[in-house]
Amino acid sequence: MSRFLSREALLAWLDGLREGGTVVVAPTLVEGVSLYRQVPVASEIDLDASVTVVSPKEWLFPASHTIFTVERKDGRVDLRENTFDGRAVLFGLHPCDALGVHLMDVPFLAEPADGSYRERRERTALVGLSCIRCRPECFCTSVDTSPDDPTHLDVMLTLVEGGYVVAAASDKGEALLASAKPEEKALSLPEPPAPEKLPTEDLPRLFRALYDDGYWGRLADRCIHCNICSYVCPTCYCFDMRDYPRGNTAERVQSWESCQAPGFTRLAGGHDTRGSKAAKMRQRFAHKFLYFPETFDSQLSCSGCGRCVRACPVNIDIREIISDLKKIGVSSVGSGEK
Amino acid sequence: MWAAEKSRANPLVPLPATISAVRELTIDVNLFQVQFGDGGGFPYRPGQFAFLSAFGVGEAPFSITSLNDEGGPMEFAIRRVGTVSTALHDMEPGSVLGVRGPFGNGFPLDTFKGKNLVIIGGGIGLAPLRPIIKNALVYRDDYGEVVVIYGARTHQDLVFASEFEDWAAVPGVRLELTVDREGPGWDGRVALVPAVIKELQPTVENAVAIICGPPIMIRFVLAELKAQGFENHQIVTTLESKMKCGIGKCARCNIGEKYVCQDGPVFTFDQISGFLEQI
Repeated sequence: MSRFLSREALLAWLDGLREGGTVVVAPTLVEGVSLYRQVPVASEIDLDASVTVVSPKEWLFPASHTIFTVERKDGRVDLRENTFDGRAVLFGLHPCDALGVHLMDVPFLAEPADGSYRERRERTALVGLSCIRCRPECFCTSVDTSPDDPTHLDVMLTLVEGGYVVAAASDKGEALLASAKPEEKALSLPEPPAPEKLPTEDLPRLFRALYDDGYWGRLADRCIHCNICSYVCPTCYCFDMRDYPRGNTAERVQSWESCQAPGFTRLAGGHDTRGSKAAKMRQRFAHKFLYFPETFDSQLSCSGCGRCVRACPVNIDIREIISDLKKIGVSSVGSGEK
Repeated sequence: MWAAEKSRANPLVPLPATISAVRELTIDVNLFQVQFGDGGGFPYRPGQFAFLSAFGVGEAPFSITSLNDEGGPMEFAIRRVGTVSTALHDMEPGSVLGVRGPFGNGFPLDTFKGKNLVIIGGGIGLAPLRPIIKNALVYRDDYGEVVVIYGARTHQDLVFASEFEDWAAVPGVRLELTVDREGPGWDGRVALVPAVIKELQPTVENAVAIICGPPIMIRFVLAELKAQGFENHQIVTTLESKMKCGIGKCARCNIGEKYVCQDGPVFTFDQISGFLEQI
């Protein structure tokens, strides 16, 4: 027997949570584009959303976010931290995005943890939705997840005729479902789709072998440093912190940044540790396929969502890079160019 | 089910502190003494650093140039070169700034014990080395001979010049100064730092070399030390790299997979020999 929620019952459950004070963040159409936003009412959720253009990291790690505000008064400085005291449900995550959240947890929650992220993360439950179809850029089964994988989620939903099969994937999820009142039904789950499978085995070692290869420079030649790959990526977590003054007050704002941005590593005085295009490009992929797994004793820092493939204006394709690392690495025909 | 407790301290939020004194070291380097409201600070080790905030302008990392064990206020020697350092230079004693820290691993002092120290600095790079020098003066018996080789572009760019006499007066401590360009008021050595190492030929046996300076100096000093017979594990440096967070997250400061903010800023050349082109 499975637990079943009709579409109406699902929306009623979410509205009930929302009326109880829980923020519901879900894919919703913003000028025709499906994005994760706080929804005023559950009926505005885009339940059919496939992989959204921008990942749900927007909720846990906002594109820009005030960490604190200082106010100068009578020679004193008052500092007020910006905190989140509520609760949230991040709804509609496909398994790749659940893995994306996990891959964001790994660095941000490693001590010393990022305070803003930890606060939001601890107060957010993840409700997932298994995939009924793949996009052409999807490759989640190459990176430790699959279209119906509930790992890292609190609740998993699967679309069936007339509604959803609902399953708790954690204690937090079980508690969250207390108000859902699902029906017990004998239902069979649909066969999950099968995305493209890439040769991701042994990627850190292959990367190490091609670390100094001219490959990165050739790839970087066409990068226009638009940073969109980092912004749409659910696992990219580079950030900037800047001050915005206004009269007697100033805000410190933490915001997304990209390792591809000119000036990202430039010091006052001009020295730049990754000044060349090649060094920037290698950093992006070394971080995902070499540094991250080695530093955190973890899997690759990629969720297989394919967003960067879709977004890149010059067709830099992470799937191609994975295949190239395998091809060039295995045959050991590095060009030797630097 | 939900996190019950309020947010724990966010390491990205600074504590307000006050500039208690400012001293001009060179035309573009000031020494700032910084204290928290209660007159104290936080404990720190030689080689660690802190982020200073000029609220409304921004935040940048600076090495702590004082020695915790001397008990005085925290000190930062800051060259006016970027937006934050310029804003700090515009501050007067009594001004409020933000402090986050301490960060970084600091120098492995335990491994220096009983050894001869060859301390090599260039320009403002003396700032993170000063606590090592002070430490070797305070705990003189813990170390063998101490040679400080310090160079700057001109003699007017030598920082902490008013302390040189005191350092050199301590038995077993030698201070060798050099400048890149001669000028009126300087009758000392005119040579690049690596040339001074070549000239002095410091003893390699039971020695550790500790370097801080601009990357170009580090490269040539490294080559000269190797020529003198120093092994990678005997050479320690403290690196500068662009950083925003100090807690291993923002992904700017890494040299290969090493995060300068957390794994460093102090490294032996054993640890970074594969990444020299990135420093």
